[in-house]
Amino acid sequence: MTQAQGGFRGWFAERKGVWSRLRFTSLRLRLVVVFGLVALTAAVSASGIAYWLNREAVLTRTQDAVLRDFQQEMQSEAGVLPERPTQDELQRTAGQMANSSQRFSVLLVAENADGKTVFGSSGGLSGFMLKDVPESLREAVNEEQAVNSTNKYAYHLYWQRIVEDDTPYLVAGTKVIGGGPTGYMLKSLEPEAKDLNSLAWSLGIATGLALIGSALLAQAAATTVLKPVHRLGVAARRLGEGKLDTRLRVSGTDELADLSRTFNNAAEALEKRVADMAARDDASRRFVADMSHELRTPLTAITAVTEVLEEELEAETGSMDPMIEPAVRLVVSETRRLNDLVENLMEVTRFDAGTARLVLDDVDVADQITACIDARAWLDAVDLDAERGIHAGLDPRRLDVILANLIGNALKHGGSPVRVSVGEEGEEVVIAVRDHGPGIPEDVLPHVFDRFYKASASRPRSEGSGLGLSIALENAHIHGGEITAANSPEGGAVFTLRLPRDASTLTQEAEENKGTDEKGEA
Amino acid sequence: MSPVPSLLLIEDDDAIRTALELSLTRQGHRVATAATGEDGLKLLREQRPDLIVLDVMLPGIDGFEVCRRIRRTDQLPIILLTARSDDIDVVVGLESGADDYVVKPVQGRVLDARIRAVLRRGERESNDAASFGSLVIDRAAMTVTKNGEDLQLTPTELRLLLELSRRPGQALSRQQLLRLVWEHDYLGDSRLVDACVQRLRAKVEDVPSSPTLIRTVRGVGYRLDAPQ
Repeated sequence: MTQAQGGFRGWFAERKGVWSRLRFTSLRLRLVVVFGLVALTAAVSASGIAYWLNREAVLTRTQDAVLRDFQQEMQSEAGVLPERPTQDELQRTAGQMANSSQRFSVLLVAENADGKTVFGSSGGLSGFMLKDVPESLREAVNEEQAVNSTNKYAYHLYWQRIVEDDTPYLVAGTKVIGGGPTGYMLKSLEPEAKDLNSLAWSLGIATGLALIGSALLAQAAATTVLKPVHRLGVAARRLGEGKLDTRLRVSGTDELADLSRTFNNAAEALEKRVADMAARDDASRRFVADMSHELRTPLTAITAVTEVLEEELEAETGSMDPMIEPAVRLVVSETRRLNDLVENLMEVTRFDAGTARLVLDDVDVADQITACIDARAWLDAVDLDAERGIHAGLDPRRLDVILANLIGNALKHGGSPVRVSVGEEGEEVVIAVRDHGPGIPEDVLPHVFDRFYKASASRPRSEGSGLGLSIALENAHIHGGEITAANSPEGGAVFTLRLPRDASTLTQEAEENKGTDEKGEA
Repeated sequence: MSPVPSLLLIEDDDAIRTALELSLTRQGHRVATAATGEDGLKLLREQRPDLIVLDVMLPGIDGFEVCRRIRRTDQLPIILLTARSDDIDVVVGLESGADDYVVKPVQGRVLDARIRAVLRRGERESNDAASFGSLVIDRAAMTVTKNGEDLQLTPTELRLLLELSRRPGQALSRQQLLRLVWEHDYLGDSRLVDACVQRLRAKVEDVPSSPTLIRTVRGVGYRLDAPQ
């Protein structure tokens, strides 16, 4: 049950670790993404606007120059042609027109004297042809408009941009007013397109650079934010581990510095509070230690005298006043109890003060248990399942205290037969004490090792001092061992004591003392 | 040794002194008492008791110091009464030459048993002698000589040496020695053995820090060997 719980907790902690790491990176990721998006929006809109404005400016300028030239050429060259020119005339004029500073192709269309449509193209017959001119443009050019106050001319100059074989062209056309050929021009916009292309490329590269820059900036920003956060996390963890003197270095006046300052104040307050509590705890422990110490002097005298009284009781029954006898018996038995209680209190204060020491010896565990049971006349009530030969380096007196408390507790609350078994697991000696009583209620189980713990307030005063199991546990801990309490599935409570086979590593001092002997041997 | 052993009880607390005197007298001892270490040392010279029961916490010179001063001249058994508030007490007490200790609040019967056990250590039991190198143990006269010189051993040290010499070359565990020499039950304090071995080595070994007679057997205990 406990193992399953432990496993679940472990799994949960692992998951939590992964989750926190993910979250940690996601904050960084989010910053990078947001920075990237901002940079992308800014760069794309700036580049887009710049490109669009540039494109318009370049195209308009080129277009205006070309169209002005074309208009002039139409007036100066085509305007002087006869109303019905010949093919040759048209051809020649077109050639002249195309020779202007703006390099465009020209196509002149007219009707000759026979009423036949004749063409004159600057590039010869294979050059600029009427089919290259979009239908809509031709219609617009040939459409005669009504002349009125707002429109002074019957024909206008029209233009259009077309793309042929991936090359952009400007096509324009007009008709000489008052009868004359219709003129078309075709100007390649390739140089402009190339310029605009390279502009687009540079803008694209600039956008890319802006993106990379923003990502780096985001990283840097994330680091400046996350590093203090990380430091804060580490400090909080240290604080949680009990290093209450943990403080953060406060630099700057930003929110994180504020947070660090708050953390430091909290840690300081916590440290002070814990120190206060520890001082109070120390004071009360010292009081208990002093008190039990003081109790012992009169108790020593009383004990010695009580024994005299006890012998008197045993020696000659009847010699004592029958009224006094029960009183003497009470004094004797209660003195013994008081002795045990003071002895246990002293033991507890020694553990609390950390002055308890191990006196290790190599002992046979089975022999120790037998001796412990024998010394307390429990042989009939205890069923021992132990083989001799299991040796361990431990403190025999402390082992006896543990065993006496565990077995005594089992006999008192569980009832006989109490079964004690000894086994070995790796480098540990495992001693299990099992009784055949009703077991320990689930709500009491976590408290069985608490000092003076009473299962219920109404329970009658127990015979023990209320410290026995707590002392047993402390004695196991000082060996580097452990005691666990559980209910056996077959009924009854099981206390399992685990002790390392060799506790000598815990007592370096003892080792050093013996070391002088060993050195002498070598 | 007189048939009724005489004890000297040095204890500063009136109640404890009176109670222990009462209890020990009832157990059949002759008890003299002193309230301070100085008085105790004076009584020791005047009355020559068989054994001293000594409280550790004394006004003026403390129990350890009294113990050390007694050991300078006398080898009579000393049992310490200790408070055991600190285990250091026991170690210091044993180092200053005490033979045994009992913890307060002490039961008269336990103290009586310890007293009798300590006194028994001086009793002779056989009439032979054994020698280990320059060390000669005369069990008839209960004396130990080294290079012909008498060694001043306390009864406990002598008993420890006798028990070891009775099984030469055989390792005895601390628990075994506690039973044989101190007559303690299974809960004997092994530091008694260690402290006594240290004191014994200081007297019988040529170089106490590198013993050739009383050897440590790691994980077991001690062994007496004749030097090679």
